[in-house]
Amino acid sequence: MDLEQLRKTAAEVASREDVKYLVGWKPGTYGYRVAPAFIENADGAAELIFSPLCTANLATYLTLVEELPVPRGQEPDDRKIALMVKGCDSRAVTQLLVEKGIERDEVVIIGCPCPGMIDDCLLAEKYPETEEPAEVKWDGEDFLLIRGGEETKVARDEVLAEKCRLCRYPNPVVSDITLGEEVETWELGEDQGVKEIEGKGVDERAEYWAEQFDKCVRCYSCRNVCPLCYCQDCILDRLNPTWVNRSVNFSENTAFNIARAFHLAGRCIECGECERVCPANIPLGKLNRKLAREVRDKYGFEPGVDPDAEPFQASFKPDDPEDFIL
Amino acid sequence: MKTNTNPYIPYPATVEEAWYETGGERCIKTFKVVFDDEEVREEWTHLPGQCAMIGVLGVGESMISISCSPTEGKFLRFSIMLMGKVTRALHQLEPGDKMMVRGPYGNNFPVDEWQGKKILTIGGGIGQAPLRPIVEYVRAKQDKYDGLTMIYGARTSNDLCFKSEFEEMSKCDDLACHLTIDVEEEDWSHNVGFVPQMLLDLGPSPENTIAITCGPPIMIRFVLENLKKLGFEDDQIYTTLENRMKCGIGKCGRCNAGGMYVCKDGPVFNYAVLKEIPEAFA
Amino acid sequence: MSAMLLNKEKWPEFVGKLAGKKIVAPQADGDAMHFAPVAEGEAPALDYNNTRVPPKGALFPQTETMLKFQAGGEQVEEPVLDQETVVLGLRPCDARAMAIVEKLFKWDIDDPYYVRRRELTTLVGLACTEPGMNCFCPSVGGGPASTEGLDLLMVDLGENYLLEAVTEKGETLLTEIKELLEEADDDAGKEKDKLVAEAEQKIKRKVDTEGVPEGLPGLWEDPLWQKVSASCLGCGTCTYLCPTCHCFDIQDETEGFAARRCRMWDSCMFEEYTLHTSGHNPRPTRKERTRNRINHKYSYYVDKFDVIACVGCGRCTNLCPVNIDIIETLRQVNEAL
Repeated sequence: MDLEQLRKTAAEVASREDVKYLVGWKPGTYGYRVAPAFIENADGAAELIFSPLCTANLATYLTLVEELPVPRGQEPDDRKIALMVKGCDSRAVTQLLVEKGIERDEVVIIGCPCPGMIDDCLLAEKYPETEEPAEVKWDGEDFLLIRGGEETKVARDEVLAEKCRLCRYPNPVVSDITLGEEVETWELGEDQGVKEIEGKGVDERAEYWAEQFDKCVRCYSCRNVCPLCYCQDCILDRLNPTWVNRSVNFSENTAFNIARAFHLAGRCIECGECERVCPANIPLGKLNRKLAREVRDKYGFEPGVDPDAEPFQASFKPDDPEDFIL
Repeated sequence: MKTNTNPYIPYPATVEEAWYETGGERCIKTFKVVFDDEEVREEWTHLPGQCAMIGVLGVGESMISISCSPTEGKFLRFSIMLMGKVTRALHQLEPGDKMMVRGPYGNNFPVDEWQGKKILTIGGGIGQAPLRPIVEYVRAKQDKYDGLTMIYGARTSNDLCFKSEFEEMSKCDDLACHLTIDVEEEDWSHNVGFVPQMLLDLGPSPENTIAITCGPPIMIRFVLENLKKLGFEDDQIYTTLENRMKCGIGKCGRCNAGGMYVCKDGPVFNYAVLKEIPEAFA
Repeated sequence: MSAMLLNKEKWPEFVGKLAGKKIVAPQADGDAMHFAPVAEGEAPALDYNNTRVPPKGALFPQTETMLKFQAGGEQVEEPVLDQETVVLGLRPCDARAMAIVEKLFKWDIDDPYYVRRRELTTLVGLACTEPGMNCFCPSVGGGPASTEGLDLLMVDLGENYLLEAVTEKGETLLTEIKELLEEADDDAGKEKDKLVAEAEQKIKRKVDTEGVPEGLPGLWEDPLWQKVSASCLGCGTCTYLCPTCHCFDIQDETEGFAARRCRMWDSCMFEEYTLHTSGHNPRPTRKERTRNRINHKYSYYVDKFDVIACVGCGRCTNLCPVNIDIIETLRQVNEAL
């Protein structure tokens, strides 16, 4: 993508009177990090980037805003938020529109067609991170790692993020402005993660998840990073009555993780952020993709694709399959 | 049973009397409780301003200010507003029921340093609970103080705590008791108006006086403003802070306001100190 | 006892000598490491980069039962803490964090659980020869071979471990295993100094703490807090993975009539942390919460206990989902000062 064009467009949008700020990506402070950037004016746009390291789904910032009560005599600031989105991120925005979590006129969506993102852990395994922020570019089918003036070609297959291997929507499904050319979809790999789980027997599966949930430290980064976990009053924080104890043990951790997975069934747009941010390395993507696949196969519903769709969990059809009811 | 080395262990105490001070959704109920164990009862000492962690096993604990003066006897009083899970469980207690108590926690009003001075308390709503022990303490040792003035107000007469006591007090000579409510009511013989305004109207002299205020944040703000207008110096003014607390002994980290742990360095603060704490009025 | 050498071949025997004690050591979990109890008869490998979750749980478990009782009852029972524990191979930064946190847990009133666990625990550290990218321990008063908080320090000299007792507890441990040890010669000491100097050289990132504790409160209204916290997700990663973060919640949990009062790690980055029952929140947004976190570590703690409550382990920076980098934050603080 042409960075000049990106920054020029972003500068225009950020300086619009009806835009409060623009959320995009900027280089991180070291290694392969990329950080969210909040741009309030044209000048700020100069630090924006779009690279194969821009894995983060910024749509979470649409609902993460903590608003203080407006002081008496002042008007609330209801200007729009501009947001840079990849294909998967745009599905989160679409799903938020479906659920009326946001209104269409509250956002300006800048679509970035995405040729695929890098899993920074895979990249770091092959090319250990250094203190200097590295630059990474798309280079034909592959990636180009630039640091210390040195360019290294990195094969796509070696470092492509799992979510991108399975991606069917590399182009934003909704946007006001699209930057650059649409990218062609690519051949999908098999969902190895889900297949691995499905291949296990019931006991083996229970044991697998027991081991995984046992590691959970309940930092709630999965919940907070998730663009679709945006309840004002989350049952996990509720202590009166207490739905999930704050004790960190297998039972409570399971209750938390399963509750979250079920709340996301038919809503998760498979951006993989939960798994990326988990400090305990719990493969949450497998869990959420499995449920997404069940919903797709059984009900033919795919979230975050059609802004006019009826929310899956709130819709009922007489011919819905019910063979899972015991 | 004897005194425990583990500070987190609460002691059972029996509710001797319990009565409602106010009604409504956030009603206030006062409990008079006595420790079951004689040794605990004898060893317990507290001073006005201190708090205790009280609760029900299986529900939880809350930090509540002790609303009686040690001069009143070997019992404790708590006046509790119905707010959340723990206070709901506490409100269900009736005479004969058990309450679990540990403490006392926090610092206290320096009542002994104040000897020889005039004492002025300015309270609003449930904020009178930590002030009541000062009033009782000073009255019990009135020859050591140069007089006591009490200003207390609430939204309506039904929201006033310790009303019957004050009705009595307002007839006594040993203190000046001024009650006020926000709006006019039938059969109300005292002042009508906000507490900070009443303070201005009474216009107490700052000379040799200590002012202590406690109540809703907005009331405290205007009371502080008005005390300054009346010429009070910062170090003549005291108030208390409250924050969410869990341990009560300066470990859990919940209650810090700036670098101060409210449970240990507070809840009582001199205004000269308090105004330097950035989060104090957050 | 002076410095001793343990041939690495005797490492399993050393671990064997600890039988009867609970041994906690770094264990592999996929591609990450974490501290966990070691199964009997196993000798943990110590060559690892630091764990994601710090070993603070050895003294301050994520969930700890404080009291047991019947719901609505009046008799409480204290859990018995008598399991002797040895933590093997913790990094000097994490041990130093324990020494720092102990100041609070022993401040004025002892926290019985922390103090008891520390009494029962022997901390055997391993000097750090391969610091991570975001390590900055020398900037905050530590170092790759700091002994603060440790009972015994081990240094990996290749074929041997160099063992130096720091406390009486460490001495006792050395005495218990003395037939496995040889006296270390001067060369071993020189080798250690060389390795430590090399490790220090590898630490690239630095923070300037000069004047920060005194200056931070003055930056209360500085725009930097808004800037630093803008992207914060409000999760507990930075605090839960911080070896010096020690805040906790206390909750009563019931199963039928059996109930317990327990405490669990809590995070000042959570909205609920300071939320009053009335609905008022003295730290209403992530800006105030971030400001508090940095002030607590770099100013309030210094005021109270004369030491910065950060050991420069880099975990918060390594694992922040949105690249909030404490070194960068402190750079901005310095800039604003």
